[in-house]
Amino acid sequence: MDITLPRDLEAALAAAAAAPDATILAGGTDLMVGVNYHGVRPSAVVAIRRVAELQEWEDRFIGAGVTYRRLEAGPIPGLAQAARTVGSPQIRSAGTIGGNLGTASPAGDTLPFLAAVDASVVLRSTAGERVLRWDEFITGPKRNARGPGELIIGVRFPDRLPRRQAFAKIGVRSAMVIAIASCCVTRDEDGTTRVALGSVGPTPIRARRAEEMISAESRPTEATLTEFSRLVADEVRPITDHRSTAEYRRYASGVMARRLLERVLS
Amino acid sequence: MAESPKFTVVGVSERKVDGRALVTGKPVFAGDVELPGMLHVALLTSPVAHARIRSIDTAAAEAHPGVACVLTHHNTPAMRYTTAGQGAPEPSPYDTRMFDTKVRFVGDRVAAVAADTLSAAREAAALIAIDFEELTPVLSIDAALATGAPVIHDEDDCLDVWDAPHNVVSVIGAKVGDVAAGLAESAVTAETTIETQYAQHAPLEPHVVLSHLDPDGRLVILASTQVPFHVRRIVARLLDLPIHRVRVIKPRLGGGFGVKQEVLLEDVAALVTLRTGRPARLEYTREQEFVSARTRHPMRIRVRLGAGADGMLQAIGMDAISNTGAYGAHGLTVLSNTGSKTLPLYNKAPHLAFDGRVVYTTLPVAGAYRGYGGTQGSFALETAMDDLAERLGIDPVELRLRNHIRTGETSPIFEELGEGRKGTPQVITSCALEECLRRGAERFGWAERRARTPGAGALRRGVGMSAHMQGSGIALVDMASATISMNDDGSFTLFTGSTDLGTGSDTVLAQIAAEVLGVGVEAIVVVAADTDLTPFDTGAYASSTTYVSGKAVELAAMRVRDQILAVAGRILESDPTGLGIVEGHIEGPQRSVSLADIGKRSYYGPDPAQIAATASFVPESSPPPFMAAFAEVEVDVETGLIRVTDFLAAVDCGTPINPIMTEGQVEGAIANGIGYALTEEMQFTVRGRNRNPDLARYKIPGAVDLPPMTVMLIDSYEPTGPMGAKSVAEIGINGPLPAIANAVYHAVGIRLTRPPFTPEKVWRRLREAGV
Ligand SMILES: Cc1cc2nc3c(=O)[nH]c(=O)nc-3n(C[C@H](O)[C@H](O)[C@H](O)COP(=O)(O)OP(=O)(O)OC[C@H]3O[C@@H](n4cnc5c(N)ncnc54)[C@H](O)[C@@H]3O)c2cc1C
Repeated sequence: MDITLPRDLEAALAAAAAAPDATILAGGTDLMVGVNYHGVRPSAVVAIRRVAELQEWEDRFIGAGVTYRRLEAGPIPGLAQAARTVGSPQIRSAGTIGGNLGTASPAGDTLPFLAAVDASVVLRSTAGERVLRWDEFITGPKRNARGPGELIIGVRFPDRLPRRQAFAKIGVRSAMVIAIASCCVTRDEDGTTRVALGSVGPTPIRARRAEEMISAESRPTEATLTEFSRLVADEVRPITDHRSTAEYRRYASGVMARRLLERVLS
Repeated sequence: MAESPKFTVVGVSERKVDGRALVTGKPVFAGDVELPGMLHVALLTSPVAHARIRSIDTAAAEAHPGVACVLTHHNTPAMRYTTAGQGAPEPSPYDTRMFDTKVRFVGDRVAAVAADTLSAAREAAALIAIDFEELTPVLSIDAALATGAPVIHDEDDCLDVWDAPHNVVSVIGAKVGDVAAGLAESAVTAETTIETQYAQHAPLEPHVVLSHLDPDGRLVILASTQVPFHVRRIVARLLDLPIHRVRVIKPRLGGGFGVKQEVLLEDVAALVTLRTGRPARLEYTREQEFVSARTRHPMRIRVRLGAGADGMLQAIGMDAISNTGAYGAHGLTVLSNTGSKTLPLYNKAPHLAFDGRVVYTTLPVAGAYRGYGGTQGSFALETAMDDLAERLGIDPVELRLRNHIRTGETSPIFEELGEGRKGTPQVITSCALEECLRRGAERFGWAERRARTPGAGALRRGVGMSAHMQGSGIALVDMASATISMNDDGSFTLFTGSTDLGTGSDTVLAQIAAEVLGVGVEAIVVVAADTDLTPFDTGAYASSTTYVSGKAVELAAMRVRDQILAVAGRILESDPTGLGIVEGHIEGPQRSVSLADIGKRSYYGPDPAQIAATASFVPESSPPPFMAAFAEVEVDVETGLIRVTDFLAAVDCGTPINPIMTEGQVEGAIANGIGYALTEEMQFTVRGRNRNPDLARYKIPGAVDLPPMTVMLIDSYEPTGPMGAKSVAEIGINGPLPAIANAVYHAVGIRLTRPPFTPEKVWRRLREAGV
């Protein structure tokens, strides 16, 4: 196995270009599970932990190498709340937002937030840069649009982030748990509300009908809240697996969204 | 209650004697040891739940580079035995072969390969070709008992199986009075049926053994075991060696919880060593620990209770069916304990019955697991008691106070239900359960919290409680012995056959010896659990070490003390009966003599003679520790998520020899019990394959999942125990399941009967109930 340890972005891009099939190693918290348990045997590895440019976090841009540890302590509440629910302290110190995107698991905990705020994913190769909206980048369960030789550089947010943001997930215990369902709700001063859910579809799901309905309500009544919850439950596309049934996921999505909505309204 | 004497070393939270080595990462575990020329053994286990092996071809494996030896049913002993590490004769059926011609669960042993490296052994194991004739799997109690069910043990050479053609391993019955009549006469009755899940011990250290031949050609086995002497006996028989040609050594252990009261790997490593002459290491992976080791018996238990309007119990009936999996190890005795560790608690009821059956299935093998059947029985009984209390309109604490056993009392169950046979009559010689209930309730704020309404929002709060007993060793079955010898600097070496599996029992035993001998713990060197060096001890199970082994140590220490005082009497020209050892000195009328002087004299004179003594102890009873458990929960009625927000255990374990370790045992057991109640469950596919054989998917609570815990050690003094001590290792695990279920009932009015209480399951029950 060929391992490259580039120290800057240029060298990293060169290494990725030289071996377009190389596997990118960031924190390794997904990759090593694959190596140790699922027989993943990369032919070449480009380890990007030392690439300083990927650690950058400038206002509306977060570098791919930023860890959960930093997100937790950062100024973006929705992302900080999501980061806090990830794995254990060890995982949060190693795992990165770029890795969460690279894996593109339906249960990736940063993804509902990225979906809610319509974040973009910045990709770069020696041939140039591409910026894809989150739903162009995540194409299916554990599938994304990254091309050969491309690195995820980071995520870019719109200029203004909604003022109120809230994230929650449901699992069977508090620590080290993969979400049965997760949800992020944001609301702006003008009432614009966004609802994105994880683990209840092949990719993060935006509950657009629920968003539209609730965005028009300045002071939602009990009846509108119930209707909102119903719409969310209606729009998710969960499956049954060993963690949960589709029925429970659907129901829990509605409950969670409504609770988060109440949080951002208060 | 007897007046408890004052102690100086006992009752002090001394540091663990092995603590420094453990926390500094010294190579103290069996898996840390490497020997020159060591082989690594890989096990090949069954991928199917039930099949006959038509043929097995090991040619390719044997030809694989680095392979030294391949074991299958073709070249290993055919005799049947039990893997249960119990005293001889074991009360478990002989239904197991080292390698059988039939496999009975996914994970059953098929072959073992020993090679120079572990990867070579694994590669070679994958080259073994097996032709399975698949049979219908039997994946539940009902499937096992159905008419025409496939016969799991159809071999003709198994021993002590009750009714193999119908998959029934054992039946147990105990009857006092007439439960039907008692129920009919009762003013109020309650009935509960519970069904528990498969759970695994998940010790930090999986099973590991290293065997080799010593220079004299004797077999030496370093094993992560709770029962070194039983390992020696069982392996010697299987491999046709005289017992004295085998030496078993237990190093430090990374936990056991019962799963290491079982001989699972020692025979294979030993046979590899005998065949090749080379050291051999065999270690379960975490996956194998889940799939192939032992588990907790899933049970279906029905409890019927009848009481007068005054709350006095008239009748208790308990029917239990236990699923022992593919082999019957501990099947009979675990189920006996389901009755014997619960029914005596309420000894006022004149009518009692216990009916139990143990069945085979083609699922993982159950075995000893902390609580040993009492955990399952307690859940059934204590949720039924909660229901009865409500029907009677009596507070649950008060109902227990009216009915529980007291010092000086007995229960006919002690005699009716023993370890798979009749038991022994027993009078309770210490019981502070009343104080546990009263003081526990007061500290917990039971009355106030119970009176609060659960609330009407999404989060509802409730409190629940339960009462428990366990035992301390096995009466008239266990035997422990200890030898103490004096060194020439006045220190002592304690040789004990008992097994510290991480519990701290070596420290506890050192404290007991130190107390008697008038020295500090640092003056006691502990040599434990080596069949060549230490005298016999049945091993660490059934909450026996502090009580049984501790008593043997106390007796041996008293004999040594007598010898010392006799010498001191001569030196001090004083009557030894008036002398005592205080802080390493014996004070005479005029002058004093130190232990160091006596130690030196015992070696080099005048009149040199080794000061040493051995003592054995066979308990005549198994004095129960008692516990009152209180839980507060918050139930999210919209998502079904249960959060335990507070837990209190008030425990009577006699004298806590080392208070901080005693509390640690209770806290650990509560955490263990909360996992069993809320998240832990081995899940299986329709073909009987385990779906979550790792710690990512088998969910043990972490620190952030656990509530604040309060452990109250309630004063009591057990006159038959060492310095008033009883046991404490198991009882704590019995509390969470019923206390949490009862608290959930208080919060939302549904009775949960099928653990683990996961959000979706609770959500469904809440919806059915219209909450
Ligand atoms: C015990 C445990 C608990 C966990 N709990 C959670 C949880 O609660 N929530 C959650 O969402 N996840 C969880 N995870 C999964 C994992 O931690 C996250 O997905 C994390 O974000 C992965 O980041 P990483 O830096 O470790 O990625 P890596 O493992 O290094 O990489 C993951 C994938 O992304 C690719 N990749 C990484 N960085 C780049 C890049 N810059 N450019 C291109 N490709 C890239 C890699 O090639 C690989 O395919 C858990 C994992 C473990 C082991």
